[in-house]
Amino acid sequence: MSEKTNIPDQSQDNGKLSRRDFLLLSGTALGTAALRQVTKAPKSDRGASDNPEGKHRWGMIIDIDLCIGCNYCTYACQAVNNLTDEMRYNIVTTETTENGDEYFLSRPCMQCGSPPCVHVCPVEATYIRDDGIIAMDYDLCIGCRYCMIACPYDVRVFNWKDFSEDSPTVPLFGTPELPPRDRGVMEKCHFCSHRIDYGLERGLVPGVDAAATPACIVACPTGSRVFGDLNDPESPANRKLAVSDNPIRLRDELSTEPAVLYIPPRAKGG
Amino acid sequence: MENSIQVPTITIGQRKFNIFPLWVVFLLVGFLIGVEGMITVLRDGLSVTGLSNQVAWGLWIAIDLSAIALGGSAFVFGVIVYLLRIERFKRIGMLAVLLGFLGYSTAGMVLLFDLGQPFRFWHPIVYWQPHSLLWEITMCVVLYLSVLLAELLPIVLEHPLFHSHPILEKSKFLQLATDFLQKLSGWLHKAGPFLAVVGLTLSLLHQASLGATYGVLSGRGLWFSQSAPIIFVVSAVAGGTCLLFVTSIIVFRVMRPGLVQDKVLRELAQIAGYATLLCIYIRIWDWAVTNYYSFDLEVALQTELLNKVAPYATSFWIGQILFAVIPGIVLISAKRIKSIRVLALFALMPIVCTILTRWNYNLSGLIAQITYDPFTPTVILNNYSPTQTEWQVAIGVISYWLIAFSLAARFLPFKGEDHLHGPGHDAAAAD
Repeated sequence: MSEKTNIPDQSQDNGKLSRRDFLLLSGTALGTAALRQVTKAPKSDRGASDNPEGKHRWGMIIDIDLCIGCNYCTYACQAVNNLTDEMRYNIVTTETTENGDEYFLSRPCMQCGSPPCVHVCPVEATYIRDDGIIAMDYDLCIGCRYCMIACPYDVRVFNWKDFSEDSPTVPLFGTPELPPRDRGVMEKCHFCSHRIDYGLERGLVPGVDAAATPACIVACPTGSRVFGDLNDPESPANRKLAVSDNPIRLRDELSTEPAVLYIPPRAKGG
Repeated sequence: MENSIQVPTITIGQRKFNIFPLWVVFLLVGFLIGVEGMITVLRDGLSVTGLSNQVAWGLWIAIDLSAIALGGSAFVFGVIVYLLRIERFKRIGMLAVLLGFLGYSTAGMVLLFDLGQPFRFWHPIVYWQPHSLLWEITMCVVLYLSVLLAELLPIVLEHPLFHSHPILEKSKFLQLATDFLQKLSGWLHKAGPFLAVVGLTLSLLHQASLGATYGVLSGRGLWFSQSAPIIFVVSAVAGGTCLLFVTSIIVFRVMRPGLVQDKVLRELAQIAGYATLLCIYIRIWDWAVTNYYSFDLEVALQTELLNKVAPYATSFWIGQILFAVIPGIVLISAKRIKSIRVLALFALMPIVCTILTRWNYNLSGLIAQITYDPFTPTVILNNYSPTQTEWQVAIGVISYWLIAFSLAARFLPFKGEDHLHGPGHDAAAAD
């Protein structure tokens, strides 16, 4: 009996509370939105490519069996981005399979769909472009290095030293295409987004035309790396995926949704 | 009155020496060593540190975390004095505010040099990224430092220089200025309960977020834990209160005998003891949970390595457990222990423990790093040892803390009296 009488009371209470909650919530939301607008300072040019509403999603496929560990990808990247010898956006290491076979693992930025580095940055210096590339705003970065600590792939590099001359890999592996960055900011692989933007403006296809394709892809002598638009079924990346068995992503259990996929080594000796 | 400030002296032969000037000179040398290091960092950048792309946070972040933790007594005693209105802790609460301010300003100072771009320290305040814990911490710390400043001002303005120094009678302007300052002090004092609530909120937010800073990093198995925020809050309460107890003995018992009763100091020791034991309970619980969840391959790999490799294994059991359990038990039985000096010695141990917790927390997840090999994941051990410049800056900021504390202990009255119309020339203090 008492339960019966209680039920309408509760629902009434709930009704009142929810209205109040609703008002409170909408007030808070409006206030936050207004504050956000007030505090949203104009940020320096973020250079997103000509890519409304995520038309493109750039991705890279790395065929582990084809990689010979020559490090040309790393050197070309260093030349184009003008990096010192110790700064590497792309890192090649020797790893082993379960069978004990050695192989080379080439590691650029995974350009995660859910990037831990972007979530932790206190000033929004690192951000997701419309085409999924994780880019840096060097003018905003305060150099706290939280993104480097949050990155599960250890691909972010800090600019520890002043560096004014050319990279030692210039001119053998390319010429610098980007202005130098200040000391004390965070840097990372950006899929040579300047080349992608340049190419799209001129009607070139990134992944097909060399001028619009990341330097590491162009430099790879064995075709181990393939680049393209993951949203386009006809892109080189998707065509490579279509003929590959079980492509994998590194540390997939973290749900970071990398845009770099690996084709695992086939068992040796048949 | 009553309580003139007594400066510790040493006796050599027949002569008594005032050690205060020597102590300050000693600290100034330490600070200058720090300044040299700070200039080096600003000139040459972070390449002068032992940090790397793998171990990105080191000694300075450990100091930053420890300084904030050891300032934790400010919010605890803000609540005790202003919200629970336990009057007998009023003067101890004033000291807690000082410790809070010193802790947070030290943290801010060391953090400035840890930034790759120190002159962009203001960016988080202007360029908001509310998803980032570090952003929230920056905002909280900036706001809380302002709250602490508002709470500290009346304590500083209590100095006779600001209300009853003979020099004030010579100038009308100075009189007006000091009258205003005393009024301001009165308003701020009245705002005490409000400031205490704001301070408590901000403190709990960012002390917990400092733990969460590590706790959210899913890529680092050792850090990824839900208990980190709680451990950070509770250990800040424990370490902060222990530091407050030790400094209270210096400031009140040694230098201002009679201002705070021994009974109250013993109660303070008990609070410190209970907080320490609570912290250890949660710490052991966390250790058990981490090991229980070690069926997760990555966590298992890391814990195994960290258990093997000193100093983490030893420092955990000796530094963080033993150094807290024993003093915890001693401090809660403070009423039964006659010697307050013995209590002070034991209270030093949880302070060390809090610092060690921060050091280990900060470095363990960076030292043991999981590789990316998709087939045979392993854990590699990275290296880090602070360079001379890092130690210099560390010595500098610690010297700053000690200089500011020493000056306050030597000159501020810590009486908590209204001086708007009060007389009282405290000759010793005015010097």
